[in-house]
Amino acid sequence: MLQSIFYGLTIGGILYITSIGLSLTFGAMRIVNFAHGMVYSVGAYGLYYLSHSLGLPFLVAALGSLLLAIPLSYVIERLVIRRLYGQSIDYAIVATYAVLLIGVDAIKWIFGPNPLPISDPVGISLNLGFLEMPVYRLIIIGLSFLIFVGLSIFFKKTIVGKIVVAGLQDREAVRSLGINIDRYFAIVFVLGSALAALGGVLYAPLSTVQPYMGFQVLVLTFAVVIVGGMGNFRGTAIAAFSLGLIIALTGRIWGPAAEAMVFVVMAVVLIIRPIEV
Amino acid sequence: MLLSVENLDVHYGSAQVLHNVSLHLNPGELVCIVGRNGAGKTTLLKTIGGFHAPSRGKVSFKGQDILGLPPEKVALKGLKYVFQDKRVFGELSVRDNMELAAFPTKEPLSEAVAKLVAIHPKMEKLLGSKAKGLSGGERQILLIGRALVGAPELLLIDEPTEGLAAIIIGQIVQILLSVKSKLSMIVVEQNLSTVARLADRIYIMKEGAIHREITDPEIIRQPSLYENDL
Repeated sequence: MLQSIFYGLTIGGILYITSIGLSLTFGAMRIVNFAHGMVYSVGAYGLYYLSHSLGLPFLVAALGSLLLAIPLSYVIERLVIRRLYGQSIDYAIVATYAVLLIGVDAIKWIFGPNPLPISDPVGISLNLGFLEMPVYRLIIIGLSFLIFVGLSIFFKKTIVGKIVVAGLQDREAVRSLGINIDRYFAIVFVLGSALAALGGVLYAPLSTVQPYMGFQVLVLTFAVVIVGGMGNFRGTAIAAFSLGLIIALTGRIWGPAAEAMVFVVMAVVLIIRPIEV
Repeated sequence: MLLSVENLDVHYGSAQVLHNVSLHLNPGELVCIVGRNGAGKTTLLKTIGGFHAPSRGKVSFKGQDILGLPPEKVALKGLKYVFQDKRVFGELSVRDNMELAAFPTKEPLSEAVAKLVAIHPKMEKLLGSKAKGLSGGERQILLIGRALVGAPELLLIDEPTEGLAAIIIGQIVQILLSVKSKLSMIVVEQNLSTVARLADRIYIMKEGAIHREITDPEIIRQPSLYENDL
């Protein structure tokens, strides 16, 4: 049981890190951004390429992978997302889904369609007798907590964070003060995308990297955003860890239902609190 | 002339909501726009503020054509929009709200806060409070205080007394009159007794057009003389 809770917290940590950017773009810009899944995959494949193909140490490869995702997400924002502000949500779905498909095909073209393994970079476990905790998973939980604290400070204490918080509530009112809100949303978009890439980096050693991993995480992160509330930073964290625990605990009872339970929870939330798009 | 609006047409899809609207504002003037719900008052104000693109017409501010500029650029030119519905940034503190207003204008936060406190000293005690906890009147005062940051020359204020108690309306009117010497204002207002206390001139709007302009102070002070025109 404790082992399942521990694994659930790891899944929750990765879901949180991956979801926060999606929550912001969904909440602030009202854009359903499927390209988020592509950036997540790029993070994982970047790690694979830099660590396996070039032989760089894990930390350097992870950092390099994030640095690769930042200009990529900037290009996506400038060429695709920025043209979707204020447009119908349908356009956003079609345009960003196209970006995701292009990304998947590009990955298959470069790396092939087969799953590729990345080993646990730490490879040590803490054995408490009743609970075995891989240190790498502990690092993921710790890192997600640090990111939560860091983002909380960012949104409460920095002017960029305050502008985004205000823009989430009332974009027009921010513009009426003389602030070009789109510029700040773009910064946050890149930040959120970098976090998605970090999610991909962190998840890769727990599983394998494969071309469709972006699709799989996307449905889970959308569930997190819907359960936690669009643009709700604290809600996203609570939802991510709760759903992570639900996946792990359901998986312990009946494996095939693990991820399905996430959508049961999402459905219940939607019934209680429908989304206005 | 500070502001000139000429022959403005605005459409929402295929529906025309403003018809050939023209008005002007002189420096130091406080002009009220009155009319029933749906007359086009807010649409007119938002079009001047850059939030709506008209299908025809011209808007000049200090002799410069501002039509087509985004709202943030219009604001930085000294034309500030104050929304109706008391739209403060509720999750931020009162001080943070002022910080956001000060940021694009490069005005020090202390000066921005001083402007807010100057129009309503009680706001000093509320600086650390979240704006969502403010009363309706305090929210409206915060909105006016935010708009005063920088060096605005014209405020576009939409329904500042809507939903407020009579005593609070009196405070808002006093605040608007106190800042009137420093800048010009266009105020959309439905409460005609408030209009009578505030306005130098009145435009009455009906069905998306300017129906009547009232310039005579004697008439302005007696709403009974024009309330049937709404």
